[in-house]
Amino acid sequence: MSEEPRIGVYVCHCGLNIAATVDVKAVVEYAKSLPNVIISRDYVFMCSTPGQDLIRDDIKNYKLNRIVVAACSPSMHEPTFRATLESVNLNKYLLEMANIREHCSWVHSDKKVATEKAKDLVRMAVAKARLLEPLEEQEYVAQQSVLVLGGGVAGMRASLDLASWGFDVYLIEKSPTLGGRTALTGWLRHDRRGAEVVKAMIKEIARNGKIHVFTNSELIDLSGFPGNFAAKIKINPRYVNERCTLCGECELECPVEVLNEYEYGLNRRKAIYIPFRNSYPQFYVIDPRVCVKCGECVKACRYNAINLNEKEATLDLKVGAIIIATGYDPYRPVRGEYGYGLHENIVTLFQLERLLDPEGPTHGELIIGGKVPKSIAFILCVGSRGTTPNAKSYCSRMCCTSTLMNTIKIKERYPETDVFVFYKDITTYGNDESLYEEAGGKLVKFVKFEEVPVVDVGPEGLYIDVKEVTIQEDIRIPVDAVILSTGMVPRRDQSDMLSVTRASCSPDGFIREAHLKLRPVEAPSAGIYLAGAVAGPKNIIESIRMGSAAASKVATLLSQGKVKAEPLVARVNEERCSGCKVCVGVCPYRAISMIEVNGRSVAHVESALCMGCGTCSAACPSGAMQHLGFKDNQIVAQVVAVTGGGSV
Amino acid sequence: MFEPKIVVFACNWCTYAAVDLAGTSRISYPPNVRVIRVMCSGRVDPQFVLEAFKNGADGVIVAGCHPPVDCHYTNGNIKALRRFTLFRRLLNDLGIEQERFRLEWISASEADKWVKVVSEMVEDVRKLGPFKPKLGVKEV
Ligand code: SF4
Ligand code: SF4
Repeated sequence: MSEEPRIGVYVCHCGLNIAATVDVKAVVEYAKSLPNVIISRDYVFMCSTPGQDLIRDDIKNYKLNRIVVAACSPSMHEPTFRATLESVNLNKYLLEMANIREHCSWVHSDKKVATEKAKDLVRMAVAKARLLEPLEEQEYVAQQSVLVLGGGVAGMRASLDLASWGFDVYLIEKSPTLGGRTALTGWLRHDRRGAEVVKAMIKEIARNGKIHVFTNSELIDLSGFPGNFAAKIKINPRYVNERCTLCGECELECPVEVLNEYEYGLNRRKAIYIPFRNSYPQFYVIDPRVCVKCGECVKACRYNAINLNEKEATLDLKVGAIIIATGYDPYRPVRGEYGYGLHENIVTLFQLERLLDPEGPTHGELIIGGKVPKSIAFILCVGSRGTTPNAKSYCSRMCCTSTLMNTIKIKERYPETDVFVFYKDITTYGNDESLYEEAGGKLVKFVKFEEVPVVDVGPEGLYIDVKEVTIQEDIRIPVDAVILSTGMVPRRDQSDMLSVTRASCSPDGFIREAHLKLRPVEAPSAGIYLAGAVAGPKNIIESIRMGSAAASKVATLLSQGKVKAEPLVARVNEERCSGCKVCVGVCPYRAISMIEVNGRSVAHVESALCMGCGTCSAACPSGAMQHLGFKDNQIVAQVVAVTGGGSV
Repeated sequence: MFEPKIVVFACNWCTYAAVDLAGTSRISYPPNVRVIRVMCSGRVDPQFVLEAFKNGADGVIVAGCHPPVDCHYTNGNIKALRRFTLFRRLLNDLGIEQERFRLEWISASEADKWVKVVSEMVEDVRKLGPFKPKLGVKEV
């Protein structure tokens, strides 16, 4: 090493988050006894500006060349402290963090034990810090194009914003049409329907030359790094091309009929169909899962628009960033949950919205089980808030508002209909509170429960049995129809997308953001952003906003025209390399090749391709391959520090 | 009571995040573990594990993302699986009881699994007592 390490150790109180359980002063004193530690201090909030100034001043005054911050998880503030070092021209990779909050003060209660553990963690960090080396980030040209997965409102909004700033956008949608769930949603407010919101966005997208739409398509492979991803898209055949005039002759001849998923199973469609009125692109599509290839549609089509032999195609794209906006699925009650599936007059909120939609299967007539119900009961929190054994624990956020909007619409059209809302709590947050008042004004009756109501499916009709909380009495209400206000769950088909993008999930199954406060629209993997309900329940407006937020994050990344890549990559010591090629075989990114140096064949790492996993380092039998930032000697130093000496 | 010292090699994307989650969820667990962060379980050289035992660890956990597909780096966890399956076979020869070494898959959301693994490990190793090399581990 060229210069003797001069280490500064900074122990954070994090208010009382750390200081309540760890004797911070004792840790500071202990740190002073460690080799190469020049100065050791504590401060109430190291991440604050005064906290960072402390470090900056010490670096200058004491000529520090390694910094250890004992505070929270590096996933939280490593970037903050790296920037602190950088601001006074100390290489930002000369920082090591000891996680004494998440890994210590928050999980242990005995102050003595926690303090000893904190000392160990600091000792490990100092041991590694002594061996850290300055590293230089590499710069690469950033592709001025973006891949957006999911053609719902969040993905469409993100695409439009990105295109307006000049980026090329590849909008990839798995289903045959843009629009997502919003296209099937009824009234958002009195004057606005989901279908109209979608229609307006689709119109803008269709005439935007920067946005390249691929429906029936999915991402099947992804490699590269922020600024330079290589994506492989599979385009599944649609079997119907742009010669289609929507005359509908084909549909009449098609012998195959299945439940229509675009009407939530309320009616049936053919194997050749048009998903909904404003779907895009505006031509028919064949569902290959059910098509029997009888050729009747081909015969019926006067425009030669159908080709049953169409094959799937693949498309290779170079993009600078990815936005995941693949949305959610409605919760599907299990059979028997609140009587679901036992009686045709028990439907979900999603189905009700289709029934009230002028473009839906009943053209907006509320016909359930063959007639207009005289009394309707809505049950809230179905599938949410742990109400039933199968339900998720979280609140799905949009069902209360959506329920109230629909009760109002019902009361407007059918003032004689009795409408009950069975609720545990009602949260019509923000401006939607007015809907609650309006529904009350229209004499919608609210019944509060603590124990979930029972839907009794008897031979003579439907009854709701419930103990009303305010009057503390068991009541039984006969109704003609029951609407289950179901919530949101992660998409059932998202596992392939997850394994390709390596995005990871929260315990609920929604994609997790890198950090709720610091990186709220980013996935944990750099260069991948999130928009809409894929990251947890959201209403339509919130999804649209998150689409815009993700787009602006992408623009921040790409607009400089170049990106910096982390230098935590593998590097070969050519002297030590024996040319065994073990590393070549283990690298998942084909980043290693053999080159000729002074007549010997040695390994060579292409830094732009290396993702920094370190697998090659672990495999190299000669110790020639080293993972920068996690070199063998650095890790062993931590091992020795934690095991030799110190206490439990 | 004997308090074993357990060294954990945790991959950055799954297990390290799960340990963080246990923290943010304030789930308490035995304080006997010290986590060393690596980018991928595939980065863990069996040599590191031996170093830990040699220097006085009573137990070692190597932990990463669930195979086959969870790995942030495609399949580093599979490489760790292969490597440590072989390594485990050597434990007896090295005089290290099986219970002192664990290879675990703990995803970013599995704070509860982390707590379970740590609790079990501490208990198992406590029963065994401090690690005393029977064969030549000191010399590895
Ligand atoms: S660290 Fe090694 S194995 Fe991992 S990506 Fe880089 S070169 Fe490949
Ligand atoms: S594994 Fe090590 S010795 Fe073998 S080729 Fe790669 S760098 Fe060289």
